[in-house]
Amino acid sequence: MSKTKIIILSLALTVLFISGCSSSAQVQIDSQFPTVVSKPKPVNAAIVFSEEFTNYIASPNSKTSIDLGSAQTKLLSNAFAGLFSQIEFVSAATDVTFDNALVITPSVQEVQVSTPSDTYLNVYEVWIKYSLDIQTSKGDQVDSWFMPAYGKTPDSFMLSKTNAIEEATVIALRDAGAKLLLDFYRIPSVYNWLVTEQIPHKNSKRGSHSE
Amino acid sequence: MNRLLALGALILLAGCGATTTIDEYRPNNQMMDINSEQSVVILGRRDAGHYDTDREFIDCVASKMEGADIGVFPEQQFVDAIYPWFEPRTAPKGLKRLRRLMEDSAIKEKIERNGIRYLVWLDGSTETHDKGGSISCAIGPGGGGCFGFAQWEKSSIYEAIVWDLTNLTEKGRLRVDSSGTSYLLGVVAPIPLLTPVKNDACASLGTQLKQFFTVDQSQ
Repeated sequence: MSKTKIIILSLALTVLFISGCSSSAQVQIDSQFPTVVSKPKPVNAAIVFSEEFTNYIASPNSKTSIDLGSAQTKLLSNAFAGLFSQIEFVSAATDVTFDNALVITPSVQEVQVSTPSDTYLNVYEVWIKYSLDIQTSKGDQVDSWFMPAYGKTPDSFMLSKTNAIEEATVIALRDAGAKLLLDFYRIPSVYNWLVTEQIPHKNSKRGSHSE
Repeated sequence: MNRLLALGALILLAGCGATTTIDEYRPNNQMMDINSEQSVVILGRRDAGHYDTDREFIDCVASKMEGADIGVFPEQQFVDAIYPWFEPRTAPKGLKRLRRLMEDSAIKEKIERNGIRYLVWLDGSTETHDKGGSISCAIGPGGGGCFGFAQWEKSSIYEAIVWDLTNLTEKGRLRVDSSGTSYLLGVVAPIPLLTPVKNDACASLGTQLKQFFTVDQSQ
């Protein structure tokens, strides 16, 4: 092998080696989520998934981006379907067709990521902070509910940064679904709206699964 | 000389054995019947902040149970089948909450349809501590090698709690505590002398756990 070829090969190997040490991560969440086991209440609801929400790409820091839009839309569609018997998904509040319904607009307030190099812990962690703007179909504000979700990897052993952040994000999204189903009907203002609208709520076990 | 070497190797290997203790608690001596159409699900606790019960350990215990002809329902499949009621945030920590969960006909129906009779919660972790010594390796044009000595201690502490999903009662508890020291000798080549602490904990827990069950072959 000629000297030039050896130099080119060495340079190529060095570039490959150094690029392997790069700490940036572009994460695409493609996971499927299980269907929720839940008996919906006889409540009509319209869920507003704005274009910004369905195409949301989080940038928790300059070196990390997480394409969350499609996965969070799938996950929340599934979770909301477990809460309401009649549901419609629209892209703007003006498209709602229900007369007497809750109109819920989810949005992402913040996404945070922590890596072992940040925390000296042996795990990758992801926090997603959602906000649910809850109104009636007449336009009256019911609440603006802050819904945090958290996910972490079991450890960081043999995980690439991209795979680890993806795994932690999927766990955080599943946690968001769990939080929504567990706590939505416990929001005092939502509970009061159910009472006002005379929607049966006391006989249902939903929301009473936790101690 | 050969005998001396063999004796030395034997002493070193004997030093690599794990010490394992199992504590068992059962409210009564009744065996737990399980037929061929029923299965056990082994779930790891994942709600602690600083550790997760690792899936590798759960798979290991599950494989020990399967070896005794006890049907084991895969953990992730179970968690997905009744999503979101066994997520870290929502999983029942006690029987009171399990009973409340099972009042939901949709959840009960899913569990019954999958033939899950018993639920085993596994909670614990394996940790490394008391690291000591040092070993260094070098490589040069004339060759390379390692020199030195390192040692570390590992301890595995796991607890298993068995719930009967038909009677909604606790059937027993097992706690395994395993520890041992591993060594790495650097004598030109690195020679690892590893103590299989986690494997030992898994084997002991799996063996003890399968003795809880009586497989009814009549069905």
